[in-house]
Amino acid sequence: MRTWQRHLNKLRWISLCLVFGMLVLLPFLHLYQTYIAAHAYDLLPANERQIYDSMEKLTAPFLSNPEKQLDAIKGTTWSGTLFGLKLSDPLAAVGQAAASMKVYWPFMLTVAIPILFTLVFGRFFCGWICPATFLYELNDNLGTLMRKAGLPITQRRLDGRLKYLVLGIGMVLSAAMGAVLLAAVYPPAIIGRELYYVIAIGGFGGGTLFFLMTLVFDLMVARRGFCRYLCPGGALYSLLGRYRLVRIQRDVANCNDCAKCNVVCQFGLDPLRDNFGQECNNCTACIAVCPTDALKFELKAKDAPNQGPGHLGHQYRKQQQKSEIAEAA
Amino acid sequence: MDRRTFMTRITAAAGIAGFCSLPFAVARLLAPRVAEAAETRIPLPGALENHDKFIDACIGCGVCGEVCPPRCIRFHTNDGGKEANTPYINPVEKGCTLCGLCMEFCPTEALVVTPIREVKMGIAQIDRAACYPWVDRGVCGACLNICPLGTDAIRTEPGTFRPVIQTGCVGCGLCVEICPEPSLPIKIVDYSLSTKKYFEKIGEQPEVKSEPEQVEAPQATPAYQLKY
Repeated sequence: MRTWQRHLNKLRWISLCLVFGMLVLLPFLHLYQTYIAAHAYDLLPANERQIYDSMEKLTAPFLSNPEKQLDAIKGTTWSGTLFGLKLSDPLAAVGQAAASMKVYWPFMLTVAIPILFTLVFGRFFCGWICPATFLYELNDNLGTLMRKAGLPITQRRLDGRLKYLVLGIGMVLSAAMGAVLLAAVYPPAIIGRELYYVIAIGGFGGGTLFFLMTLVFDLMVARRGFCRYLCPGGALYSLLGRYRLVRIQRDVANCNDCAKCNVVCQFGLDPLRDNFGQECNNCTACIAVCPTDALKFELKAKDAPNQGPGHLGHQYRKQQQKSEIAEAA
Repeated sequence: MDRRTFMTRITAAAGIAGFCSLPFAVARLLAPRVAEAAETRIPLPGALENHDKFIDACIGCGVCGEVCPPRCIRFHTNDGGKEANTPYINPVEKGCTLCGLCMEFCPTEALVVTPIREVKMGIAQIDRAACYPWVDRGVCGACLNICPLGTDAIRTEPGTFRPVIQTGCVGCGLCVEICPEPSLPIKIVDYSLSTKKYFEKIGEQPEVKSEPEQVEAPQATPAYQLKY
């Protein structure tokens, strides 16, 4: 019986698609609400009427009073309301505290739940929710296609600690300028915001250009380079999730050293040598790809040290034979 | 040139163009704000009075815009340094209906829940050299009819259609949106620049030449009976 955990990757993709889909849908629903509030269906131009009709068709089975009830889900992954529960990104709290140089507790409470989850699951936001990850992973697939087509895709390795520098400098600059600058260089915040601007208000903001730059960076400098080396939110989640309780671990007795996990890991980690670290974003791609179910989520506060070659691989067998010969001698 | 070289060069060109635009983007972000007329950039209801503190507190999540029923909340996008992604209201396009949803949904202290009569977005000012009723005793009253705060905020001079702003005005900007005069004689000015603060300090109302009970709603009188 193979482990159920290899299906988690599909579940993760469903989650990513849901979040991204919501970010696209919410501005349309907001437009629908404003059209209802205006009580002027007959005056709407054809394109707005189309939005009204389609949204009405979507929501009519579930809602009796869409103008009020659609307020239940509002906002983006940066900060939003979910059925009366206000949730925010921890980076928003950090950036805002740095910018205003004081702590506003009602806002800090909104980040309590995400921080709690991060303490338990590590960088789960990066792998399971972040709308930018959705696009970055598609971008990474594009990179694979480009490499197959013979185009040069660079995969440099930079220092993984660069992102902590970005976080630190971002906080210092936020405090110096008195504005939450981190919001301008944090892709999930940018995407939520820009989708809203484009759909509901009209016109891109400056963030779109920045996000396109990060896509080019990922293709031309390092694989998933922005998430791994530059993202300030990723840095914060990494720090919070350093001693996470749920982490992917290798079961050395089942491992056959095929190294598929190392190839599939977009963050460039080394599951084959038990090298996950605080960077792992729980994307579970390695669990899905492992042919012998050696990789699994485990309840542990620390990574296991390097456990050596897998017991199903030929390296381990050679070692065994050598030790047997030594014993016989 | 074979296809591979061509594709390589195209990619390289795109990459170089992209990277070259980075300084441009940074310059746009750091550039000083385009000097817009102040009265087309008024703060949101319940916003912190100190504009710098408001920018400190705003995290640029855009939730205020997403809940606004008349969609009057706009955002600074490319037009200026540290104000990027923060909201404003342009009353010339659309005024605020004072529904209070943005204050309710704001996660930070940028927008504080405030009763609508204590909101301080600004105060309306009327240019008496351009307003129809003030210039030639015209018949208008659009600003009076749209005002959500009634006679606390705007009244007419008795027996005329000449609007006079009262201390109850919070600067929602609906009158600016509705004003039919193309030169927009009514505009929202900064609360701190206005005379309202002065009147509050000395505890007086600005002068209206009549008692409130004498003021009639202009639309109640049939137009043919008006005599000036």
